[in-house]
Amino acid sequence: MRYAPAILVGRLTRFAARLRKPGGGSAVPGLVVNRIAPGYLKRTLSGFPQGLVVVSGSSGKSTTTKMLVAILRAHGVDVFTNPSTANISQGLTSALLEQADWRGRVPGDVAVLEMDEGHGALVMQGVDARVVTLMNVMVDQIDRFHDSEMVAGMLARIAARAGEAVVVNADDAYLERLAARVRPGVAVHRFGVAQAVLATAPRGLGYTETSESRLEIDEQRPGVRVESVDGRSATLDDGRDRVTTSLPARGVHYAVDAAAAYATAHAVLGDRFSAKLTTEALSSIPAVFGRGERATVRGHEVDFVLVQNPASYQLNVDSIAPGTEQILFAVGSDVRDPSYFWPTNAASLGRVSVVSGSKAAEAALMLAYDGVAIDRVEPDLDRALDDFLAMPTPANGVKTIVFTADSMRRTRAHLGLAGAE
Amino acid sequence: MTLTIVSLLPRLQNTNGDAQNAHVLAARARWAGLEATVVDVESAQALPSRVDAVVLGSGSDSALEPSRAALLTMHDELRRWGTEGVPILSIGTGWELLSWGVELHDGRSIEGLGILPGRAVPRAGRVTGDLVIAAPRLGALVGFENHARDYVGAEGSPLGRVRAGHGNGRDSGQEGAVMGSVYGTHMHGPILAKNPVFADHLLSTIAARSGQEYTPGEQARTVDGYAAAARAAQLAVAGVSVPVS
Repeated sequence: MRYAPAILVGRLTRFAARLRKPGGGSAVPGLVVNRIAPGYLKRTLSGFPQGLVVVSGSSGKSTTTKMLVAILRAHGVDVFTNPSTANISQGLTSALLEQADWRGRVPGDVAVLEMDEGHGALVMQGVDARVVTLMNVMVDQIDRFHDSEMVAGMLARIAARAGEAVVVNADDAYLERLAARVRPGVAVHRFGVAQAVLATAPRGLGYTETSESRLEIDEQRPGVRVESVDGRSATLDDGRDRVTTSLPARGVHYAVDAAAAYATAHAVLGDRFSAKLTTEALSSIPAVFGRGERATVRGHEVDFVLVQNPASYQLNVDSIAPGTEQILFAVGSDVRDPSYFWPTNAASLGRVSVVSGSKAAEAALMLAYDGVAIDRVEPDLDRALDDFLAMPTPANGVKTIVFTADSMRRTRAHLGLAGAE
Repeated sequence: MTLTIVSLLPRLQNTNGDAQNAHVLAARARWAGLEATVVDVESAQALPSRVDAVVLGSGSDSALEPSRAALLTMHDELRRWGTEGVPILSIGTGWELLSWGVELHDGRSIEGLGILPGRAVPRAGRVTGDLVIAAPRLGALVGFENHARDYVGAEGSPLGRVRAGHGNGRDSGQEGAVMGSVYGTHMHGPILAKNPVFADHLLSTIAARSGQEYTPGEQARTVDGYAAAARAAQLAVAGVSVPVS
């Protein structure tokens, strides 16, 4: 009963917010409830019968969370989860309100939450998690996270909330150091890639510091290793089973996400875990918009490539077939200062048809120093998209649009493409 | 003759793409018809026999000690380059390590290499944001700062006057430190790309020392057009109006 009044107010707020802006205003009800019932989020998160699972880290947490939820559901577990856009406290509370009954209770056996690494430490204060999964440590926002030490420190505070197990990326040296310091009684599970897989990424996987050696699995060190990646297919080995799964998009980082979800599911389910159900669930995950997705737009096949940080930038740019004739490259206002992208190398693109977005000039400057020829710089993204799509079908390759998250949203809106998140 | 640009400690000292300034110098030299190469140097053993310019970027605070240890193995060379007029561009903690020393928040201090005057001292809270300065001979320099320490003792020879942002702090109104051709600055990232006048100033020095002449190439004109647009956007955000040169 104690949260009934707050829930009612939250509901009314949500109703009002939707009248004002259909489909929007989703964080506002959470803001209101957090204000009038500050204990609600903490208490609800700690109250799921089979506990709380948190996925955090610099990159890959959205995909991993989606995969983990699919795996748990395939095992018959009733899962509460948050949309990836609601990974800070007011959004999280709003997401809980969506599912809550009038007393504020949220149905589900287990909660799986994607947690922003910056806000997570604060949200998780006083919240007890069963399992915490940490993806990697990268510095991808110069004006938000100042250095990798700071990111690692925030992740350590989130990991400290785990009562049963932490699941870490064994290839990330920061996370391995963090795993060495977990409380006694807390198990450490790992995921990582085989040397042969690492060797296929000539510039590494983008972690601030990559571990010296690759993951070896045995009785004392439970884990999952990516043995090979071939296009949208990956082979995973957990020391007992070796399975091949399809991925939501091409790229080693999706295989790493799958291994993370697999290892976490194993930690959560224990004896109930089935490698077969897990593989089926992983393979059933649809392709993700903007992450190597192909769509038909205005009569043309178009590849959409999302770049979120230097690591995904490099991996995704490397995966664009050399000689691709028409590329639109858009960097938006979500990139405050693009300096951190400079260590990447886009020389393989050769030529870009249009550079666009509010940071078009900065992006063009960076591409030009990589030796990429630029046909046109057009900061107006709508105009750039229209002109790019009006160009005749390329003789070589598919029309390819590379964009940051902000430019992706604008592109989606302009082209009337369904939001997939 | 091939110009050799040394990128110093790119593994430890390359926050925000600072080390890419070495590649900017090499690219512009090539556009001008000069031969140029970038050599990554992590230890004294890897030093090339000829050094025409040095770029030392910024790193995390945990890299201060290991970076200092690595730099100490090249202490004589750094002093010699500084004296001989080899351009050295140092950024953020890379600059701090070339100073007299770094005072940390916990009261400890790290002795610097003493190549540049002044020292880094703690400030209350980190400063991040656009940094615009007016530099003698170079005009407006535009960059991004991100540091948790101020810098004192460079008042006699700063890089420029702060027009927007924080810079060296402590009410100095100044940013950076210069001694001969050794530069220290808080401006992160590819500042030589964003500020082609600065790059070309260094390249003129580099070329003259090697008995060559530097005239910006055709490609530089195109690329500097992007830099001008990026500068204009950043100056507008920072609220600084300067004559466009």
